Amino acid sequence: MEALKHAIDFSDFPRVDLFVAGSVALFLVLFPFFPHSSFAMATMIQFLMFSLYGMGWNTIGGYGGQVDLGKAQYVGIGAFTTAVMLIRWDIPFWISMPIGMLLAVTWSFIIGYPLFRLTGHYFAIATIATSLILKDLFEVWEFVGAARGLEILPFKYQSPDFLRLIFKEDVYYYYILLGFFFIGLLYVNWFRKSRLGFYLRSIKDNEDVARSLGINVHWAKIKTYAIATAFVSLVGSFHACYIKNIEPEDTMSLDLSILIALMAMLGGAGSLWGPIIGAGILLPLKSYLKEWFGAKAGLVGIDLIIYALIIMLISAFEPRGIWGIIEKIRQRRRR
Amino acid sequence: MDILFSSIIAGLLFGMVLALVSLGLTIIFGVMDIVNFAHGEFLMIGMYTGLLTSQVTGMDPLLGLPVAAAIGFGLGVLCYYGFIRYLLRGPMLAQLLGTFGLMLFLRNSALLVFGSEDRVVHHGVLVGKSFDLGMGVIIPATKLAAAGLSVAAFLATWLLMNRSRIGKALTATSLDAQGARYMGIPTEKMNALAWGVGGGTVTIAGAVLVNFWPVNPFVGLLFTMIAFTIVALGGFGSVPGAFFAGLVVGLITEIPGFWDFFTYTFDADWMLNVPMTSFKYMMVYVTYFVIMVIRPRGLFGWKH
Repeated sequence: MEALKHAIDFSDFPRVDLFVAGSVALFLVLFPFFPHSSFAMATMIQFLMFSLYGMGWNTIGGYGGQVDLGKAQYVGIGAFTTAVMLIRWDIPFWISMPIGMLLAVTWSFIIGYPLFRLTGHYFAIATIATSLILKDLFEVWEFVGAARGLEILPFKYQSPDFLRLIFKEDVYYYYILLGFFFIGLLYVNWFRKSRLGFYLRSIKDNEDVARSLGINVHWAKIKTYAIATAFVSLVGSFHACYIKNIEPEDTMSLDLSILIALMAMLGGAGSLWGPIIGAGILLPLKSYLKEWFGAKAGLVGIDLIIYALIIMLISAFEPRGIWGIIEKIRQRRRR
Repeated sequence: MDILFSSIIAGLLFGMVLALVSLGLTIIFGVMDIVNFAHGEFLMIGMYTGLLTSQVTGMDPLLGLPVAAAIGFGLGVLCYYGFIRYLLRGPMLAQLLGTFGLMLFLRNSALLVFGSEDRVVHHGVLVGKSFDLGMGVIIPATKLAAAGLSVAAFLATWLLMNRSRIGKALTATSLDAQGARYMGIPTEKMNALAWGVGGGTVTIAGAVLVNFWPVNPFVGLLFTMIAFTIVALGGFGSVPGAFFAGLVVGLITEIPGFWDFFTYTFDADWMLNVPMTSFKYMMVYVTYFVIMVIRPRGLFGWKH
């Protein structure tokens, strides 16, 4: 009960924030009732998926300050568990998703234990390496479809299938994901006020001081890494049902790992709203740039060039992200 | 036995090339504590430079080396003054993602200019020639030249870092940038120099690599990851470390050859079924992970 009270307690934010957050939440709930294109719907679903990825990453990368660039392997574990179980044994999403989460978390404990003995750049590159190891393994593993990946055939199922999460209309996916989104938001809101959340912030500020205060730094990092993993694996499972065609190349690639960290950083790592802001700006930008420029003949890659320039500008001039800009303005006004 | 010998030699030669690829990364990291994701893209630019100088002027691709070095040096200095200088003020996460942005930018610019198809060098003094050492060991001339160049570049860099005033200034900057500034060393220029030398060596590597490796805009990522592994294995910032780690990684990429050797020696059928070639690069990452966990500063590392 205490935890629930903390989870729904947003009172430490200024009233303006809550007003904006409330109107955004209202907009998200009502979005399917507005006239929209199917492309806009797909973009919104991607936005929700990436905010969830970002929220998960934010626990270890934002609050904990550990530069984790290997989250894609857990997307892969979640996605492949769900897909394999559905295709081979017809096990519904609501059972395979927790199993996938469990597998991902177990794996995260196994590699997290040695991983967190490293710090700084060594840690960052080691996370990339672990992710690529798993991807290479999946690419030769026949059981999960090797490099071809797996395909869930939607015509085998009756369309609004709430157990297996197979729908023809995107609206159903949207609302289910929105549910996860709100639960995830409440969880992170609880997390940042929990004991572990405070541990992590003190580790980020100064690891030696945190250790001298009696915090088990290694174990706190591993636990948080597992929490982040659970988030990412959940969205991975959803991804399998939504996209229906998964390959190691796109669910476990380095680009995805980095995109997850990138969105959280651009929004503002280490704040509750940061990952959502980051995904809300970057993801539509990416999709629409691709929509406008991607198909033009002779201009292949121009959308990603513009996108890369924006990333470079923000990381050079405002490394604390958009939330950092807002906080800076607020501090100036307070003076 | 033939397979064993030729695997070892091929591994060592390729390892020297890989060491040359990662030399620039280790210099840059050693001097200013920044991991450059765009490193493989510099390599790609070097490869295209070698390819285009031979195609446009009709000369041998080897003559593209000085051009590639000049372009790489210029590009490195430009990147430093135009972008990296600002990145250095931010936290580590922003630095990593900023260089990732640079990588996306360079890669897609290449895609825009050159298109996505593979390109190969067909003509040249060395292309297609090889030496037969007997015992079934055949050395392609391109690889031998690349390995020789790598050794030369490493010796030159080692001399530069340890025997010259500029090298001492670079080392001082990497040990303590603020202290070096008090001693009158222009650290800003030293950083730019490190980027220039880093860019120059990797584009040279690209210009020799293009003789035996097809080039496309996406070639960089694999080499970036291998270079990260080599640099971390040798210890960030250690020049001799990078060379020996390069040899180790080169031998690891030849593991499928060793696997074949043991398969034939022991006449083991089950070993035939293991798709070792697909595990080639995975082995590199596994080695990296294991060595990092056992010895977190790398084999020759002195920074952390």
